[in-house]
Amino acid sequence: MTRTSEKAEPPKRPFWTGRISLGLVNVPVKVLTMIRDKSFSFKFLRKDDGCPLKYNRVCSQDGKIVEWDDIVRGYEVRKDEFVMFTKEELQALRPESDQKIRLDKFVHFLSIDPIYFDKSYILVPDKSEDAYSLLLETLKTQGLAGIGMLALRNKEHPALVHEYKDILVLTILRYAYEIVDPADIEELQKLPKPKDEELKLATTIIENLSGEFDITEYRDTFKERVESLIEKKMKGETIIIEEPKKEEVKELMVALKETLAQLQEK
Amino acid sequence: MKELTKVKFTNLEKILFPELQIKKAQVIEYYIKIAPRILEFIAGRAIVINRFPNGIDKLGFYEKDLPKGTPSWVERFEKYSETSQREINYVICNDLDTLLWLANLAAIEIHMPLSKTNSYENPDLVLFDIDPEPPANFQDSIEVSFLLKEILDGLGLKSYVKTSGKKGLHIVLPIVTKYNFKQTREFVHLIGKHLARESELVVSEFSQSRDPETVYIDYRQNSSGRTMISPYSLRAEKLALVSTPIEWMELKKKLRPEEFNINSVLKREKVPWKGLWEQKQNLELD
Repeated sequence: MTRTSEKAEPPKRPFWTGRISLGLVNVPVKVLTMIRDKSFSFKFLRKDDGCPLKYNRVCSQDGKIVEWDDIVRGYEVRKDEFVMFTKEELQALRPESDQKIRLDKFVHFLSIDPIYFDKSYILVPDKSEDAYSLLLETLKTQGLAGIGMLALRNKEHPALVHEYKDILVLTILRYAYEIVDPADIEELQKLPKPKDEELKLATTIIENLSGEFDITEYRDTFKERVESLIEKKMKGETIIIEEPKKEEVKELMVALKETLAQLQEK
Repeated sequence: MKELTKVKFTNLEKILFPELQIKKAQVIEYYIKIAPRILEFIAGRAIVINRFPNGIDKLGFYEKDLPKGTPSWVERFEKYSETSQREINYVICNDLDTLLWLANLAAIEIHMPLSKTNSYENPDLVLFDIDPEPPANFQDSIEVSFLLKEILDGLGLKSYVKTSGKKGLHIVLPIVTKYNFKQTREFVHLIGKHLARESELVVSEFSQSRDPETVYIDYRQNSSGRTMISPYSLRAEKLALVSTPIEWMELKKKLRPEEFNINSVLKREKVPWKGLWEQKQNLELD
């Protein structure tokens, strides 16, 4: 079990390998996952016997299970009206990935609105330590980040290459159209101006609470409470799935009886 | 359960085909239900199993020798193996219990030699393994199979066809057990060479078997100790396909090997290879 207190484990394999290129200079890199989602997830079980549930893709009309082989993708253009795509068609549309992130612009890292930041990845030199160090050192001393496009299997995203804790990090950026514009939210358009004395009081309160930012002060207490309950349940009254499962054994028995009868006939 | 089988089923929950979320219980159920059809093919033969205890996505292994912890009631056949330089104890699967014991070992694939243990060096089956090399596909295998059938028909030989459970087809001739493997191998190779001359699609030599867009007629399985996937054995493939005997009539353009899988094969009522064992054919070609 992953405990809240544990560190995010480093990945075993790179998620992508390729090159960062600036003009004629190439830096081969391996891209490692940096963000580990630690949110809690439960499996669905049947209440009576704790049997885990599985998902089937079922036709919305006749309720029959549809096999993977018979599935295509559809884009809903109007209600209940779809344009169909086969795997092959989508394959052909995939962004052409030449395994390269071309950095064609350099900006001050701190000038980028963090709202656009999506996931970050660790960059590791791929037998390119010298070039890697050079790029790292340059970006660090200048406080700059390089921007380029990253083409993955079925998406293309702008990405930043920047320094973080003396290594290079790749941060994928959101497109502008993926961010809701606050100007489109009506309630936010006519906010009242606070009075002077209110402002003074609020500032004093905030100043008293000001401090250094430390992310480790925060923890998911729901997750911790669930974890401690899991531990208790594991010691005592846990739901152990009976092995072998009654239902399945029953099915096998029925099949066995039939087969034995058939074999006897022969 | 105890009175129905000697086998104690374990880890029924284990997912063996992750793509389709097929558990070991379903694999065992398949072998229970297919037993009346598969046993006649594997009985009396030194079978080789391909086990995937952790599912087909994880490493599997071919097992010739008796698996560890083989119960004493399992029949075995001892044979000196030239390649291994030692005696090998093969499993003989003549009954439902042994079959289910194998299924419980996650022996997804059951491979059978073309001869029985009582005449180990004399095959009772001849195999033409039709193996397409991409971009040649199953449709091309069908085309080549019909070319082959025409020749065999012309020689007065009745042939039987099954899907390999992958992209190929297997064409089998039952024969009298008097030839040795060298003879059956030569026979298949000869016909392969003949077809290779007639059709641009066909290649007959192992060295050409990886030539793109060709269909290789593999003759090499017609050898002592070599095996073919048994009729009705599951394949360790994503979609849990089955090497399935079919009627020549069924072999149509639009047929896809995916139509024969762990679910669909059990529903088939056809017995396409009926009478195969009564058809003991001679290969004399004069």
